[in-house]
Amino acid sequence: MEQSHPRLSRRSYRSYRKTASRALLAMAALALAALAMIPAAGSPAAAAAASTGPGTGPTLRVESDTSFSTFNPFLAYYAGDQQVVYAIYPLLTQTGENGDPEPYLATKWAVSPDHLTWTFTIRSGLKWSDGKPLTAADIAWTYNLIMTNPAAGTVNGSLVANFKSVTAPDATTLVITTKAPESNIAYEGTSIPVVPEHVWAGRVKNLANFRNTSGFPVVGYGPWILTGYVSNQYATLTANEDYYAGAPAYHTLVVQYYSNSDAAVAALRTGALDEIDDLSATEYDSLKGVKGLGLYPTESNIWNAIEVNTGARTKSGSKFGNGNPALADPAVRKAMALAINRGELVTKVLNGLGVTGAGYLPPAYPQWWWTPAGSESEGYDPAAASKLLNAAGYKMGPGGVRVDPKTKKPLVFRFGIHSDESADAEVAPYIVDWLAAVGIKVNVQAMSFTQLNSALPKGDWDMLMDSWNTGADPSYLLSIQTCGTLPQNASTPGNTDAFFCDPAYDKLYNQQLAEFDASKRVQTVNQLQSLLYRANVDIILYYNDNLEAVRTAAVKNYFYGRPNGQGFYPIQVDALDWQQAKPVAAAGGGSNTGLEIGIPVVVVIVAAGVLFLVRRRRTAGERE
Amino acid sequence: MTAVAVPARHAGRRTGTGVAEFFRYLARKLASAVLSFLVLLVVGFVIFSVMPSDPLEALTRGRPTSAAQLAFLRQQLGLNQPPVERFWSFAWNTLQGHLGYSWQFQAPVSSLIAQRLWPTLLLTGSAMIVSAIAGLWLGIRSGWRPGSLLDRTATGVSLTFWSVPTFWLGLILLVLFSVGFGPVPALFPAGGMSTAGTAGGLAPQHILDVLRHLVLPGLTLSLVIFAQYVTIMRSSVIDELGSPYLLTARAKGLRDADIRRRHVVPNALLPSVTVIFLQLGGLVTGAITVETVYSWPGLGYLTYQALQIPDLPLLEGTFVVFSGSVIVMNMLADIVYRYLDPRVRRQ
Amino acid sequence: MKAFLSRRGGVAGLAVLLAMAVLALAAPLFIHPSDLSVVDATGAALAPPTPHYPLGTDQPGRSVLLLVIWGARPSLAIGVIATACTVAIGAVIGLLAGHFGGAASRVLMAVTDWFIALPQLPLAISLAAVLGQGDASITIAIAVTSWSTTARIVRAQTLAVEARPFVERAHALGAGHRQVMLRQVLPNVAPIILVSSTLTVAGAILSETTLQFLGLGNPTDVSWGAMLNQAVNQGAVTRGAWWYLLPPGVAILIVVLGFTLTGRAVEDVLNPRLGTR
Repeated sequence: MEQSHPRLSRRSYRSYRKTASRALLAMAALALAALAMIPAAGSPAAAAAASTGPGTGPTLRVESDTSFSTFNPFLAYYAGDQQVVYAIYPLLTQTGENGDPEPYLATKWAVSPDHLTWTFTIRSGLKWSDGKPLTAADIAWTYNLIMTNPAAGTVNGSLVANFKSVTAPDATTLVITTKAPESNIAYEGTSIPVVPEHVWAGRVKNLANFRNTSGFPVVGYGPWILTGYVSNQYATLTANEDYYAGAPAYHTLVVQYYSNSDAAVAALRTGALDEIDDLSATEYDSLKGVKGLGLYPTESNIWNAIEVNTGARTKSGSKFGNGNPALADPAVRKAMALAINRGELVTKVLNGLGVTGAGYLPPAYPQWWWTPAGSESEGYDPAAASKLLNAAGYKMGPGGVRVDPKTKKPLVFRFGIHSDESADAEVAPYIVDWLAAVGIKVNVQAMSFTQLNSALPKGDWDMLMDSWNTGADPSYLLSIQTCGTLPQNASTPGNTDAFFCDPAYDKLYNQQLAEFDASKRVQTVNQLQSLLYRANVDIILYYNDNLEAVRTAAVKNYFYGRPNGQGFYPIQVDALDWQQAKPVAAAGGGSNTGLEIGIPVVVVIVAAGVLFLVRRRRTAGERE
Repeated sequence: MTAVAVPARHAGRRTGTGVAEFFRYLARKLASAVLSFLVLLVVGFVIFSVMPSDPLEALTRGRPTSAAQLAFLRQQLGLNQPPVERFWSFAWNTLQGHLGYSWQFQAPVSSLIAQRLWPTLLLTGSAMIVSAIAGLWLGIRSGWRPGSLLDRTATGVSLTFWSVPTFWLGLILLVLFSVGFGPVPALFPAGGMSTAGTAGGLAPQHILDVLRHLVLPGLTLSLVIFAQYVTIMRSSVIDELGSPYLLTARAKGLRDADIRRRHVVPNALLPSVTVIFLQLGGLVTGAITVETVYSWPGLGYLTYQALQIPDLPLLEGTFVVFSGSVIVMNMLADIVYRYLDPRVRRQ
Repeated sequence: MKAFLSRRGGVAGLAVLLAMAVLALAAPLFIHPSDLSVVDATGAALAPPTPHYPLGTDQPGRSVLLLVIWGARPSLAIGVIATACTVAIGAVIGLLAGHFGGAASRVLMAVTDWFIALPQLPLAISLAAVLGQGDASITIAIAVTSWSTTARIVRAQTLAVEARPFVERAHALGAGHRQVMLRQVLPNVAPIILVSSTLTVAGAILSETTLQFLGLGNPTDVSWGAMLNQAVNQGAVTRGAWWYLLPPGVAILIVVLGFTLTGRAVEDVLNPRLGTR
């Protein structure tokens, strides 16, 4: 084997090796320390450098709500995709600061006396980012595509289900006729992105496979233009100088996906990120008192609830699934609601950063906010729950579990939770203990998203943890509880979440849908909420606050609205935040710069010292 | 986490000569790799057909869907075919590199995998190089004097790292060095592969940025796999210590250090290097957990993301790619071993 | 026995394991169900160690120390049960392949080699994901992916035993396949099965905690892997809650190290030729 080595004299060979290995080690140690010393984007020096970023102006970096999969507005239903889509494609109307629809492409609109024809006046003189004119024809083309092409209807098909026709008689007029009167047409406009016909006409054939993640800049219209995308990491948007409401103050917007919320929080702390929403209560608390950060709780637009299987059945009433029949008994459901301490969940799971659950619509929209009157209220009262169950004939059986008088079986319910929702896993043990205290045994079953959602329409479940959020118009969320959402037959799923069906509810629901008087509509919606509260099919546990943090040392004017009495900001629309945010002129200094440089220096010195000692020992060994 | 399992090595048949024999060997290894891959396809398909769940509910949950839309999606995903037909189309498509369509990302699985390949190669490759250098070096030192203080320390350290759950080691390093603990500030980024918005490509700034992100995940993975290399190299060196040629070398008057460098190490290196190839399974396992902890945008993290839904076509795709790459590497190891083994070459 | 006692690593490993086993078995004596109940928890949320909570608290305010001790029960149980399944599958396949030989043996060994070569975790993840969350599917996933090493060892040992004269004699006396395998071969193969299973437990516990950490277990369980999963989900990393992250991992490390040391020592004793390793 000797000949395979380079022909060096013995001594020089060794010294060559020794020097090489020592140099190598030293270089490795130094490189590591140097990497650590490169200012994290957060140290003041880097913050200044980062905020200018690529291009010619300041950069705003925000966290996306979810991962990215497509920027095709017809397919984008993940929140992260939608954040980008709504910034780069225009809408007929947009959600304003108080949650109501406000002008965007449409400057004003009116409805005919029969409530069936809506006429929108479209802003004139707008141009797509490629210079071609943006007219009512583009809007009509987009809406018609969604109404006729199943792929185009993937996300928003249901919103146009009641539309009879959408036409553009001229460049500045759009006419929508509906099959039945519908009061919330202007709200629908806030959800449907409009695309340029001249670009998208050629994409219709292959629409379902088109992801719109290349070919930059992407032709669109909005405060931003999509100019880059690194798959599953971030999208780069550039300010649209021609935006009708004025270009955003930031030149570049980076919407970055952090798959790991710990990483996102760390990035916010170091300044690699300017804004996070959707913080957990623990993360939020850990950021309190951090210099240069502003914390903004906003009112919740989401409820978390236990859905109860009241007996799976089809529209025609034939039963299926293996749900426990005891849950069809309203007394059992009411006892469960009384046995659960919802306030305690807010205190212990949410660290107090949420509202105790009651009504079906979350508190973000004060106009729809409903709370049960004192007599109606089902507060935490395990004694009353036990009494109720005793009265209904559920006598205590062996092992502290009550027995169903009809089936003679113990009251044991399965409780499905999302295995990928950490809040579900935190809530579940509380529910188990509280229901055990009144004689109901609960078996927790962690299920993946897919499993849970395939079990749901089959009716093979007893209790499920679920959550829904809603925009300012409550119709869609309310519609989930109508009889029409029951499945046609056992194999085609409906949109129901608890197999609830009550003709009285349906009547009220249709009434509010066609009600054009705002205060009357509120009254009807309140009646709906009261009805649902008493039915206990969705036991609303809590509404968790939206917890956001902004790097106020670098960004100002991000949040709009004023905090209410409890310090909550109104719910925010990302596009509005991004448009009005402004860079802080001179970034304030961090305090631990010395430490940030000092530590790596210490590391290098220690590493060098250790190396030196090791070498000394070794040479001593060889000397002997 | 994978138990160190090395298939029995056969020195190869000693009869026959040279090139023809080598090509016969090559053909045999190729055939067995192809067979392994076919078995892999069958196993993969069987696993992923066990669950009769309907992905459509997962896809359409949370938004209203008409019957027409459902039928459209069903056809889109190829769910309206019988299982046998689905297997043949699966096998044929896989061989062509079409791995299905991800439910979650609404994109072809093969393009998702292609995007994630480079980060995984970077992470596992650099971890392998670092740990191989450190592990082999330490293995030589401790094998040379079994029972010495260095040997016992090295064995203890490598046993400990072997016993540490990879993901936990990652979490601890994460808390220590990127969240900042006590007086230690956050030295390294907590996740991802680069800072958003920085210029990409080969700009020096970008390379430094990626390196900074690479330090912690690379270190975690290196520490865990390094243990195996120490153990293997150590026992190889110990095996060589009993060889008669050492006596000859000593008789020639060579110093210990020279004997080690010029005789023992080259001989002991051979089986170790081969085994490094064979332990890619451990590397794959490590990549999945480390990438998950550090949200490193590679194949392991993609597997974790697929697992959350679970996105079966994507999971199936990563499974096929991970296993397939190990089959290929094993075959290469066999060939390299055969080519390098002095006992075979000398024939 | 004496040979084992002279190996300090093995003795230490065994002692640690025994201590852990005693602690796990005795846990119900000093841990009351209310100590583990989230509703009855009285501590502050994610609070650092205090004299009353030597290892701090988790988000609902339970003592992390008690959780870690209680967590030994499911963690060890799953590890041992998964190993039992692994060894059972491996032993049956190894015995059959070794006893019958011929084409059947070749096919069995080809399958075994295939499983040996394949990376375990992706297969285990896929299996567990398809079977659904929970301890049962984790156990199955581990057993299905890790039996191959045992099978190979058992086959080799079976071949060696069957070559010995007493098996020949049994054949001559008209013993059937079943009798030879169960009466003659199995008792002689058993010791090697035992040794290989000690090392398998170490791997099984690591696999189990990894799968639980990845979210394939029951997220409400009190086991080491599930605890770490919960810790991360509850924000322990951001909070810097080392008292929540450190103990479960150290517990896993100790147990795995214990099994590894014991296994290596027993291996040394039974097979002195490997003694230098």
